[in-house]
Amino acid sequence: MPTSTSEIASQREELAEKSASSSRGWYQWLLIGVSVLFAVVSISFVGSIIIYSIPAWAHPGTLLTGKGWQSPTGPFGGFAMIIGTFETSLIALVVAGIVGLGTSLSIVFLVPGKFRNIIATLVELLAAIPSIVYGLWGFLVLAPWMLKTFDPFVNKFPFASTIFGSPGQQFGPSLMLASIVLSVMILPTFVAISREVISAVPSEIIEASYSLGATRWQVIKDVVLPTAKIGLFGATFLALARATGETVAVALVAGGVANAQFHLLYPGTSIAAWIATQFGEAQGTEVSALMALGVLLMLINFSLSLISRSLVNRQRKVLARV
Amino acid sequence: MTMIDELVPQPENASTRDAIRRTAHAHRARRVAISRVMMILCGIALVLTSIPLVLLLIQLIVRGSSQLNATFFTKLPQSPSLVDPNAIGGVLNSIIGTLALTIYASIMAIPVGVLTGVYLAESRSKLAATLRVIAQTMAGAPSILMGLFGFTLIVKYLQIGFTAIAGSFALAVLMLPVIAISTEISVRNVPDTLREAGLALGAKPHKVSLKVVIPSALSGIVTGCLLAVARAIGETAPVLLTIGGGYLNEWRPLNPVSALPLSIYMNAKSEWPSQRAQVWGIALVLVAFVFVLSLTARIWASRKQKRNS
Amino acid sequence: MEKIMSDATSAVNVGSESVKTQNQIAMSLKDVAVSFNGKVAVRDATFDVTKNKVTSLIGPSGSGKTTLLRGLNRLHDLTPGAKVTGQILLEGTDIYRGDITVTELRTRVGMVFQRPNPFPTMSIYDNVVSGLRFNGIKKKSILDEVAEKSLRDAALWESVESRLKVSAGNLSGGEQQRLCIARALALDPEVLLMDEPTSALDPIATLRIEELMVTLKERVTIIIVTHNMQQAARISDDCAFLLMGEDRAGELIEFDATEKIFNNPKDSRTLDYTLGRFG
Repeated sequence: MPTSTSEIASQREELAEKSASSSRGWYQWLLIGVSVLFAVVSISFVGSIIIYSIPAWAHPGTLLTGKGWQSPTGPFGGFAMIIGTFETSLIALVVAGIVGLGTSLSIVFLVPGKFRNIIATLVELLAAIPSIVYGLWGFLVLAPWMLKTFDPFVNKFPFASTIFGSPGQQFGPSLMLASIVLSVMILPTFVAISREVISAVPSEIIEASYSLGATRWQVIKDVVLPTAKIGLFGATFLALARATGETVAVALVAGGVANAQFHLLYPGTSIAAWIATQFGEAQGTEVSALMALGVLLMLINFSLSLISRSLVNRQRKVLARV
Repeated sequence: MTMIDELVPQPENASTRDAIRRTAHAHRARRVAISRVMMILCGIALVLTSIPLVLLLIQLIVRGSSQLNATFFTKLPQSPSLVDPNAIGGVLNSIIGTLALTIYASIMAIPVGVLTGVYLAESRSKLAATLRVIAQTMAGAPSILMGLFGFTLIVKYLQIGFTAIAGSFALAVLMLPVIAISTEISVRNVPDTLREAGLALGAKPHKVSLKVVIPSALSGIVTGCLLAVARAIGETAPVLLTIGGGYLNEWRPLNPVSALPLSIYMNAKSEWPSQRAQVWGIALVLVAFVFVLSLTARIWASRKQKRNS
Repeated sequence: MEKIMSDATSAVNVGSESVKTQNQIAMSLKDVAVSFNGKVAVRDATFDVTKNKVTSLIGPSGSGKTTLLRGLNRLHDLTPGAKVTGQILLEGTDIYRGDITVTELRTRVGMVFQRPNPFPTMSIYDNVVSGLRFNGIKKKSILDEVAEKSLRDAALWESVESRLKVSAGNLSGGEQQRLCIARALALDPEVLLMDEPTSALDPIATLRIEELMVTLKERVTIIIVTHNMQQAARISDDCAFLLMGEDRAGELIEFDATEKIFNNPKDSRTLDYTLGRFG
């Protein structure tokens, strides 16, 4: 029996060496082999999309800033899709971020303990609902409602035509509807993560601030949010990554028109939705143009998830210091 | 200093203390009121979140359950016509197609994903570090890209065409990183003492890994796999570009198949009200599948946690 | 006046001095009990805390010392299902039923916790003045004055004077705990609650905190929970001994001058505990 920590440590080293020396066994080779297979799949995932997109990069200017999409001959301009992607995701993110943060805070600080777990489970289940179901709801329930009630209503406001398009335009599926559906869709995801980040703030420092006479809101504003800040940004970027990559929900409710415009009640599209809707009939260079849009989407998504991951890691370090 | 000051211990900053107390008192009512208002706003946010989600769930259940009957589950779909606008048939082909796709995808993804996860947990090599970054990045990639991959590799490059195998390959690529990451976490959570106990008894490392570590991590691994399947089963974009669809009762890997999310996407845009109504039934079945899988995973995980503590 | 005084003293156990006027009592507990969802955690706490003294709560784990202490600044308000019964008077005002708001109470009854818990996102300076800022005091001159004074009182000023803007996470464990004491002192509370403040510290840091408490009692009344009997004997003037009853609820066994509790207790269980026969 080891009696001192140093003995245990030396025994540990021995065992590690032992496992290293026999690491050339069939089992280790199997693990390495399978992992390499995983790496090959991942690399060919990125590679094949890039390779098939190469013909379209002959006109990079058109692809990034061109405003028209002429099937099947071209030119293929991606400006409308890029704009649509950012418009819808950013609106969705602002709405879901504000409402979602309030929701997470009330789950942690208002809801009594008994119900907290039930609500947390429910939120996670809602986050697991396939996006097509959110799209379906937007398409069959919200879109008709927008046509009948929302559009006439907002057009009564004087500033409406700048944001929503000229009055009397009767549009259901639109960038506005896509933003609404996206915000409802990413809300559970955002709440699930931000609630976790907020409840990870140590109760010791929360009690310390209460003990100094802080009100509940002061505890949240001055202690909880600053401590959880980085993790909350991580959650935001993750939600943004999900919104930008969403395909079928946007394809159903955005209207599917390749028009670059900022009138929210007019139909538009996003990168992912455009790939999904055009792919069926695409031939030749149009396929490469869609692949090129896929490469763009990949770049956007990978950078967002890179940022979000580094933020989450930094949050972990902040909390480790407490 | 007077005599009294020396006798009665008095804080030397009595005036500061008074100033603090007075200011604090003057601000107290306002602070409490602000706190109330902000907490009410948070409560409103909770209600705002709940309204659309509850509405969605209610409409899904009400509209969906009215569609569920024997025909729905046992018949193939039909095209409605002016003569019989309600002749829509059932969705048997999509149910079978989804089950087939999920099974093929699991067969492809689970062994590779689990073994990669074990490798990530047990190796400290550079390869493992690189793979971890790749897995984490892939896990968040938009599913439409998996569809593009399945299309380029299986449909076009290997010339296999729009088939079940192309769709399940796309879904497997989606599941792989999820399974690898969750496996890595569960294996890492196995206490080192257990591993060392096995090694100290003279067991070979791979025996320890197979007979001690993986069995103790098993419930975590199963949970991760279930969650990955739950995600794959509802994905539309990858299958949209790969499986071909169709009204036939088909499950064979090298033939085109249909799937639940695909028929939701297609039929939602149908001009026939009867088909649009049926979509709610399909969505309800799909959500039921997903909920059962996620809840099973969750219960499994919590039971394991209880046993450990 | 005479009558009120005698009422106040006759109803409670007698502490270090046999006769006390109300002016010398900082906090007075009468039949205090704390329960969670109907399950009693501690009960029968009746004693007076004398001003400018250190009162210690001792007893084995599960005897409800910490639970009782947290009732004294209403921290149990944060726990759903927690209920405090009986009477707790701060300078004659019932802290649960009097016209005192909970935020005001907590500025008058400060607290130091088991583990040092400075706010990780704030600098040393911001930590010390955080209580003042919570309470709406923004004037720079007051903040600076109080920060220096509190840090001096917590015997931390010399070592942090030059790095006030540095994050509090960079301090050692003992320094962090003294920072937490300074943070509580900044509001100039009448009573300071300390929940095993040295249990997470090394012996040298512990000694420094103990020395600090002895000097601090000139300024603030201290109630300390400790599982360390030598500590209670060294620093406290009065001592309350709690023990877990048969229904697993803690109860007050004895309250007296520390010297009496350790040398000549009324209850045999107190003697057994202080001699280390159990717990």
